[in-house]
Amino acid sequence: MTATTSKDLSSAPAVETIGVAKRYPSGVEALSGIDLRIEPGEIFALLGPNGAGKTTWISIVCGLARATGGSARVLGLDVVKDALAARRVVGLVPQEINFDPFFKVREVLRFQQGYFGVRRDDARIDEILAALDLTAKADAGTRELSGGMKRRLLIAKALVHAPRVVFLDEPTAGVDVNLRRDLWDYVRELRRRGTTIVLTTHYLEEAEALADRVGVIDKGKLLVLDTPGALLARHGARRIKIKLAAPLTALPAELAALGATLEPGGLELSCPVATPGLPAPPANGQPAPAEIRRVIAAVAALDASIAVTDLRTEQPTLEQVFMALVGHRKGAAA
Amino acid sequence: MNVIGWKTLIAKESRRFMKVPGQTILNPVINTALYFVVFGYALGGYLRELDGVPYIRFIIPGLIMQSIIQNSLLNTASSLFVSKLQGTIIDLLLAPLTAFEVVSAYVVAALARALTVAVLVWLVASAFTSFHVAHPAHALGFALGVGVVFALGGMVVAIASNNFEQLNLIPAFVITPLTFLGGVFYSPHALPRPWSTITRANPILYMVDGLRYGLIGRSDTNPNLGLAIVVGTAAVLGSIVYAMLHSGYKLRT
Ligand SMILES: Nc1ncnc2c1ncn2[C@@H]1O[C@H](COP(=O)(O)OP(=O)(O)OP(=O)(O)O)[C@@H](O)[C@H]1O
Ligand SMILES: [Mg+2]
Repeated sequence: MTATTSKDLSSAPAVETIGVAKRYPSGVEALSGIDLRIEPGEIFALLGPNGAGKTTWISIVCGLARATGGSARVLGLDVVKDALAARRVVGLVPQEINFDPFFKVREVLRFQQGYFGVRRDDARIDEILAALDLTAKADAGTRELSGGMKRRLLIAKALVHAPRVVFLDEPTAGVDVNLRRDLWDYVRELRRRGTTIVLTTHYLEEAEALADRVGVIDKGKLLVLDTPGALLARHGARRIKIKLAAPLTALPAELAALGATLEPGGLELSCPVATPGLPAPPANGQPAPAEIRRVIAAVAALDASIAVTDLRTEQPTLEQVFMALVGHRKGAAA
Repeated sequence: MNVIGWKTLIAKESRRFMKVPGQTILNPVINTALYFVVFGYALGGYLRELDGVPYIRFIIPGLIMQSIIQNSLLNTASSLFVSKLQGTIIDLLLAPLTAFEVVSAYVVAALARALTVAVLVWLVASAFTSFHVAHPAHALGFALGVGVVFALGGMVVAIASNNFEQLNLIPAFVITPLTFLGGVFYSPHALPRPWSTITRANPILYMVDGLRYGLIGRSDTNPNLGLAIVVGTAAVLGSIVYAMLHSGYKLRT
């Protein structure tokens, strides 16, 4: 590592790709120019349907794949020109699970520590094992682990050398609900200690719960890049849902003016309302509380013979955002 | 240099074969000992002499060289190819290890295995004959040098191969025939006219003959020419492996 690069470390973005493109030898254009800048200490979620190019982008940043265009840096270190220095600060949890069946869990972590030039530190290994709930399996062979345990060992492996930037490519695939929550807590804890985290996931509530910012890519292009809140405001909508005991045949004018719609069958009204603190969806420009009053008033004005059986609000979710952006695509799955 | 990383890779690669010693050490030792017993004793070889050397002593260096070639080649080729196939190779590709560190660590581990087998074979064979070593420096030089050559060769083959069929191509159709035709069981003089000359194009001949010079002091070729061939081959193969790992050929997509 040269003097200039170590000076840059403090101010440089954690990850920066400029126009990164990848065309595989097979001819597949997996990435067509991705500009992305991730700040130190951020939790960043990269979302996109299968085949969008998420793993390819991560592979380029981690040095596993060569970009066919553009450049990538980690903490200011070029992943090609400063490859060794860049690799030292990166930890990757790959999407594919694979272990050498010869070795035990603790051995795997010791080798990993060693590869990164870290002196053998069993206390650190015990800490990681405990954090990932693998203490009981420390002396088991990797073949003896369940799928979710293997995934957690993969995470332990990526973290054992205390990397400053961690890439988690679908870290919670196959991990049960309890451990997934624990893992989220651990990811937040890592961030508190200053680690930058980049994750991909198909569980959108995971991105919503964890990420400071979200990027959505599809067919190798970055579609949006923003905080979950801003994305929700732009693409999602909060709705009041009202269930009726008897069907309405037509939408009353007052409700239509508020942007409400009648679900097929006439038994449910759905009316968009703004989320406090966020700009209102385009259909109505009023502050939320006033709108809710107007919706209730309009419902109260309905024919008295029509009973209201349920009233709830539906919060906007990243899933709606995701579907709005890429959901049109045939076969697109979150 | 990432010394800890380098030592770790050597330890890991050595532990790989030490976890299955029956397969990686004992099996080759027994196989070679069987050759020794069958060709040296059972076929009456102990009665014959070849240029004044008892036949049983004549074949020992060749058998040792054969086990060095096979075990160094097999160690790197199988370890690297399997990790490529299983995907565990990404541990190496992500680690801050230079191409030189990776190559040398694999070679050191392969040497550990090949020389363990070689020494055991030599001990068994010497127990039947004699523990005398004619030129220890040459013996050691050829054993180490040839181990390096074939450890490097195993890496080239493992990286270049896309499947088991290709992995076995060079060892089965080039290395094994050249080893058998490399004067393990006979002196090249013993062959009829054109063959005794053609056989001199076989580099393994010089390796077998060189170790024979080192162990029993007898050779048909110049041992220093043999050492030059070993060093030259190691340099060529070493450069190829280095270039492959450095560029990420067939390893980084
Ligand atoms: N080694 C490879 N050789 C050729 N094409 C590849 C290779 N790896 C990926 N691709 C192609 O590149 C595109 C992007 O794949 P990538 O694995 O980056 O997607 P992804 O967003 O990670 O998808 P998923 O959510 O399924 O993991 C796909 O069309 C895929 O078929
Ligand atoms: Mg992927």
